[in-house]
Amino acid sequence: MEKLIYTVGVDVGGSYVKAVLMQYDHTGGDHKLIDKQTEKIRKRNPKDVVVDAVDIILKRNNLSYDKDIAYLASTGEGEMVEKKKGHFYSMTSHARGGKYFAPEAKTVVDMGGLYVRAIKVDSKGKVLDYKMTGQCASGSGQFIENISRYLGLAIEEVGEISIKADNPDVPSGICAVLAETDVINSVSKGISTPNIVKGINLSIASRVVKLLSSLRAESPIVLAGGMGMNIGMIQAIEEISAENKKSTFTFISNPNAIYSGAIGAALWGGFRYYKLKEKQTTLVV
Amino acid sequence: MKKYYLGIDLGSTTSKSVIINEKDEIVGRGITNTRANYKIAADIAREEAIYDARFTLLEEKIGESQGKRPELKKYMEDLKNVFKYGQFKRRMDSLEKMLIQTVENFSHPNKADILEKLKIIIEKIRPQIHHEFIYEMLGTKNQFFRDIVSEKYNGEVSNIGSEFYEPLILAFDKSITPTENEMVSYNFKELVIESIKILDEKYQGLADTQGNNNKEDWYYAELNTTKDNYETLAYTLRQHIEAIADEEIPIANMVGTGYGRALLPFPEDCIKSEILCHAFGAHAVFPNTRTVLDIGGQDTKAIQVDSYGLVTSFHMNDRCAAGCGRYLGYIADEFGLSLNELGPEALSATRETTICSTCTVFAGSEVKELLNNGEERPNILAGLHKAIVQRAMSLIARSGGVKNEFTFTGGVARNQAILKYVKDMVANTYGNLTMNIHTDSIFMGALGAAMFARRNIQVNLPKAQKSEVREPVE
Repeated sequence: MEKLIYTVGVDVGGSYVKAVLMQYDHTGGDHKLIDKQTEKIRKRNPKDVVVDAVDIILKRNNLSYDKDIAYLASTGEGEMVEKKKGHFYSMTSHARGGKYFAPEAKTVVDMGGLYVRAIKVDSKGKVLDYKMTGQCASGSGQFIENISRYLGLAIEEVGEISIKADNPDVPSGICAVLAETDVINSVSKGISTPNIVKGINLSIASRVVKLLSSLRAESPIVLAGGMGMNIGMIQAIEEISAENKKSTFTFISNPNAIYSGAIGAALWGGFRYYKLKEKQTTLVV
Repeated sequence: MKKYYLGIDLGSTTSKSVIINEKDEIVGRGITNTRANYKIAADIAREEAIYDARFTLLEEKIGESQGKRPELKKYMEDLKNVFKYGQFKRRMDSLEKMLIQTVENFSHPNKADILEKLKIIIEKIRPQIHHEFIYEMLGTKNQFFRDIVSEKYNGEVSNIGSEFYEPLILAFDKSITPTENEMVSYNFKELVIESIKILDEKYQGLADTQGNNNKEDWYYAELNTTKDNYETLAYTLRQHIEAIADEEIPIANMVGTGYGRALLPFPEDCIKSEILCHAFGAHAVFPNTRTVLDIGGQDTKAIQVDSYGLVTSFHMNDRCAAGCGRYLGYIADEFGLSLNELGPEALSATRETTICSTCTVFAGSEVKELLNNGEERPNILAGLHKAIVQRAMSLIARSGGVKNEFTFTGGVARNQAILKYVKDMVANTYGNLTMNIHTDSIFMGALGAAMFARRNIQVNLPKAQKSEVREPVE
């Protein structure tokens, strides 16, 4: 049995498709993140976006899907991934991906485009308990994206701008769509862009911290998902958490946070690949 | 000396203004999209209403000398449309400058290529917009500069390679807001003369016989009369334009209302609550109104009024976009449709798809999923329209139900599919009663404000007197 295999994980979210190429080490060594790719879905069919993302990665590494990839695993909206060998539920993938970022983590919080999920994990990355935001997008990544569009910022700039704030303006409204109008209001009052962005980050951060408190999350907590890449959001979460008297959390962030689901899927894919192999060999014997 | 009164309704999505005369008759209406700078939004809405008032005066003047012939109406409509194009073109010029400047400040390595692509797009858009304004009456379709330009621009960007997609879209997002927030003043006379010239060209170029178009015959009959008479009309217009362009339209008093009223640069006693204004405006147009439903950009209001048009009770939605105009706006963006296209398409549905999500953002992603699963777009849209009306109905119930007569106002009242569901549900729940919908529904708040301005009602209640020991006056 080969020691190292290539696996691909594809995480289809509400606004982005994330794909990673991992080198999976069966002998318990370190798994390596070889390559990664994010594609914005915009108004295209997610199926095509998935094909694009996977093709880009394979081409870049001169790999062929049939010959070199042992397992392609999907997570998120998995039915969009036609070439998949297996599908893993988002929660399990993010838990595993979070553990990959920080093996000591006891909680993974996935802050995605539509939902925020806080997941308690055991030492192996198994899900023990979780809590999720309900039927309202007031604490979602989509919200930040809409706001940044209105302010004429690229999504990559948001974090940098947020940490420049000196006097954040926290929106009064809760609804993500109506808060856009709050932003217009703030602009017309002459509030600076950094203070507007930071205010929104703070309002989302307070929801994340509330969610963590209600789950009785244990530290350290890994910040995963798209919003975990936003340094302004990380800063806001740390500030809100520090104000929180009842429980103090410690957070671990990672520049690849958005890939936590895709990485988790790729790792579970490798795990399953060998499980299946073992079954086959035992059958032969 | 004539006196006029101005009402401005600064909504979350659109800013409306109405000018009335001393008989409460509307002489001018203006509407623009609300932008980050409220003062600019209010100023533009006011300017638009003044242009509209001047057109009204022009039409009266020509009517006096030429008689009110049917072709006059058509000609004036054409003229207003081309006038809008003149304004549009000037805004477009400043947007182009802004776009080029934005791209020049980019730090992308392939900046030169982006700039080249940008210039190609601009060159493509310009003639398209010219044609649609002049020949397809784009100016009369209730669309604003931002919507029209972004629709065209996004369309052209999609045709360009995907590597340029993000930077070109970003350039637009960065440029449109400052362009919108700059106050452009137009010279009315200059623009009208320019419009007359464009119209002359248009009418000269018209075919005398109907081509293979599927336009209705009456339209052609009207066009032919216009075609034969436009020279006389244009001549008369030129005669009067001087006087009308310089005529003072003195605003004796004004009142502001709506979502952004607190930030309007008006004195405090010229600001009134939108609930009062909507009810008052609706009641003025339909004196027997007892229940008003107003679905605006970001709030839905159910208002009960008495026989004087004063509010007896009301209910509003609570800090959530589900169930008001923004919900539709958001979905329209998801589909890449313009707001005006939603209603007609929803009407062509065979059934209503159930939308499970309440939240607008969730509904947006649910809708994408439904589409990918092969659900018909008209049916999804019908489901969304029905959902809005259902939420509005529960608000009405909480405010005290529907009493005869029922008046439906606000921007969403322009949407035919919404009207259908409102009619059905009101009739189902409250039986058959009179339902009023007016073409000016969206202006009701501004009309109410203008009427309050005319009545010069003191809004601020007498301030509580500080208790102080006074010397008895001898």
